[in-house]
Amino acid sequence: MFKLDHKSILVGISVVASTALLLTGCLSSPSSTNGSAKAQSNELTGPYVGKLGAIDGGVIYPRENGMYTAYVLNEQSTEGINHGRVPTENELNAWNLDALPDGTGLPEGEGSVEDGDELYEANCASCHGDFGGGGQGYPQLAGGNQDKDENGIVKTLKNQRLEPGMDAPKRTVGTFWPKATTLFTYIRDAMPYAHPKSLSNDENYALTAYILAQNGIKIDGEKMTDEYVLNAEKLAKVVLPNNDGFYPNIDGPEGPANVKAFFADRAKNIGAGVRCMTDCKDPGMEAAGAKEAELVRIDYEMADVVPPYSTVRDLPPESEGVTISKAEKMYNESCKLCHSSDRMGAPAVGDVQAWKSATKKGFDQVLRNSIDGIGGMPPKGGNDSLTSDEVKSIVEFMIDSSK
Amino acid sequence: MHLKISKIIKGEDVDKTFKSEEATSVSRRDFFKRTASVSAVAAVSILAPGALFADDINIMEHTKWGTTLGDECNYNPYGLPSKYEHNVVRRTSALMSSAGDMHAAISMSPLHELSGIITPNGLHFTRTHNGVAHVDPNKYRLMIHGLVDKPIVLTLEQLKKYPSESRILFLECPSNGAAEWKGPQFNSLQFVKGMMSCSEWTGVRIKTILDELGLKPNARWMLAEGSDGSEMSRTVPIEKVLDDAMIVWAQNGEALRPEQGYPVRLLLPGWEANLCVKWLKRLKFGEEPWYAKEETSKYTVLTASGRSIQHFYANEVNSIITSPCPEKPWTDLKVGDLVEIEGLAWSGHGTITNVDISFDGGKNWREVNLKGLVLPKAWTRFSYMYKYEGKPLLLQSRAVDDSNNVQPTVNQEKEVVGVEGVYHRNAICTWEVNAKGEVNNVQVRS
Repeated sequence: MFKLDHKSILVGISVVASTALLLTGCLSSPSSTNGSAKAQSNELTGPYVGKLGAIDGGVIYPRENGMYTAYVLNEQSTEGINHGRVPTENELNAWNLDALPDGTGLPEGEGSVEDGDELYEANCASCHGDFGGGGQGYPQLAGGNQDKDENGIVKTLKNQRLEPGMDAPKRTVGTFWPKATTLFTYIRDAMPYAHPKSLSNDENYALTAYILAQNGIKIDGEKMTDEYVLNAEKLAKVVLPNNDGFYPNIDGPEGPANVKAFFADRAKNIGAGVRCMTDCKDPGMEAAGAKEAELVRIDYEMADVVPPYSTVRDLPPESEGVTISKAEKMYNESCKLCHSSDRMGAPAVGDVQAWKSATKKGFDQVLRNSIDGIGGMPPKGGNDSLTSDEVKSIVEFMIDSSK
Repeated sequence: MHLKISKIIKGEDVDKTFKSEEATSVSRRDFFKRTASVSAVAAVSILAPGALFADDINIMEHTKWGTTLGDECNYNPYGLPSKYEHNVVRRTSALMSSAGDMHAAISMSPLHELSGIITPNGLHFTRTHNGVAHVDPNKYRLMIHGLVDKPIVLTLEQLKKYPSESRILFLECPSNGAAEWKGPQFNSLQFVKGMMSCSEWTGVRIKTILDELGLKPNARWMLAEGSDGSEMSRTVPIEKVLDDAMIVWAQNGEALRPEQGYPVRLLLPGWEANLCVKWLKRLKFGEEPWYAKEETSKYTVLTASGRSIQHFYANEVNSIITSPCPEKPWTDLKVGDLVEIEGLAWSGHGTITNVDISFDGGKNWREVNLKGLVLPKAWTRFSYMYKYEGKPLLLQSRAVDDSNNVQPTVNQEKEVVGVEGVYHRNAICTWEVNAKGEVNNVQVRS
């Protein structure tokens, strides 16, 4: 019975939220604040004139009688204000690099899956794992089951970890991401993590190709073999498996209106409470078929926080007045990310055994490796701006700190 | 010199000896005179029931700071908190990072130590995706282009020549409370709700700039792009841009802190802090959304249906009791003590209108007082004076805003979005107060 009542409550709320009742609801609410709580737009221009309620489902407050909610408005004219200047064509081109899912804005260039493989091993695998498979604590890029149910939904995305030991939904490029152009711009703008924007467009296309290939993506029905060469035109054709897995629909002229309609119906779409005051039953619990509210206590406390919890008011421990050396500062900036622990496969600073082994062939060999690169480590740790002397001082610091 | 003072606590005689070396500047005569008069009071109170206390050394003796010369007035040209406040700091957890790497991580505000509705700049929570960028203000440029009649590029000084507006607004990471979807994990207010702060932000309304640049009628979206290593970018609908979106350069009266995007960040009042792009570099107006990395691969809410909500903007109506809390328990209270239950309520959809609290885990509720400034999209304080009974409680708070949003129970939220959504969790929180007055984070759920 209660379940039915709950449904009727939800319907009631959705009607309130999606119509002009929102306005009256706000006016009748016991607002004690200055000038607040009127949902009305007399400020917006263009397609939004006269629309009540904000796109996020909330309130658009009026600017009227010199007030904006509790704030006094500065209503002096700013007409003719003219700071800054028009950018040059070259400046616009230098920064106007964003790309849309239809390929608009993608740069020229190309790269093969095979080249991407090599680049991935050198620049990405230490964080994202072999073949994009994760395991290093950073996002997993490939893998996960892409099978879909009869409604076209990636089945494993429906995984809900309601009990310990259940499988998490995997959010990889192949199972979760909607758009392949995002992969290219992500790599170009923000990767490799410690040295963003250091790769060429050809290299970025190659890496994009490699990751798409690891996810088994086909382009125009064609499998991405090692020889497959990706460019802007082909990237724009990629339809990722979870392309239709997102709502509301934001594309096209109705995009913003779709979002507004979605958030107007908050109870149905994002969950909302009911303001019951006495003898309340938890409608969500009833719907879930439970009889009594269950009190869930912390099973395994996450208490490993930095600095440790304390509310004590005392004098802090005496600081030893340590000043950080230039070498240590450079280490922090260019090397620490991989050498702070052994999770990247690099000898961790402070790990005596690891450095005994690393220095077996002598200091000069370690230094050569540091300058030229070795295994997953790029030359100079990927920071080309370091001089050989600077690398030397960093290596000395790392060895000294690991004795 | 050793002094011996007798005191009676709960009927027991306790001898307490303490050194009075700190009291060197107290004249013996003054000291004994005061001791004598206090003893006389004590002798009277002995007839009254309850505790009788020893003289407090902090009252009886001169203090070190009262008997020495302090620091020069401008010893710290940029003021610092008292040394004794060294535990009032942001905290991190490896769980809230990439593999323990603190460049892509989040730090939590110590909500249990904050007063009022303004967060000090040094305690504002911080989320970074590629470390804290240190932008040279002299080299800073902001470009505004796309579907505008006149594109522009501004230096920092040019930007700051626009007329400024100041607004008190909360900022909340949409991951606030994300560790708690499947059950309680942190026994700490700081980690349950500390991914938020509230400041007075100063900058220029974007509409003020657009009025001069001329926005083309076919512009439906704005791309905001950061200049840090992560090149954070997000798509913002034009309606928000024209309503209350700001470009800000100041926070609580001073320049933004590097952690908050120095020198300039986007500020979308009430909307998830990830949208409020830090180290802002570029605004571009266009017809179609960009599907940037942090609005697709992340910051989308995967629901139990297997489909995900995208463009989830506002931080929904929410509240939390800040006192008591796990860090600030009631273990020092006696039955009958009158104590303030205090908390914070906020809504990205508008203004808080009501807050209710429950002592029995949500069965019965009573409306409580709001206090102080009640502003849209800002923290709002609530208060209830409670007579402590020393019995177990399940304390909850539930906020309502002027869009008639009511904060949901854990189950109400779970029913609609499941437990794998990561973002936008605003379910009612529960503090279990046990008979000793200790406070633990629990959940009432099925």
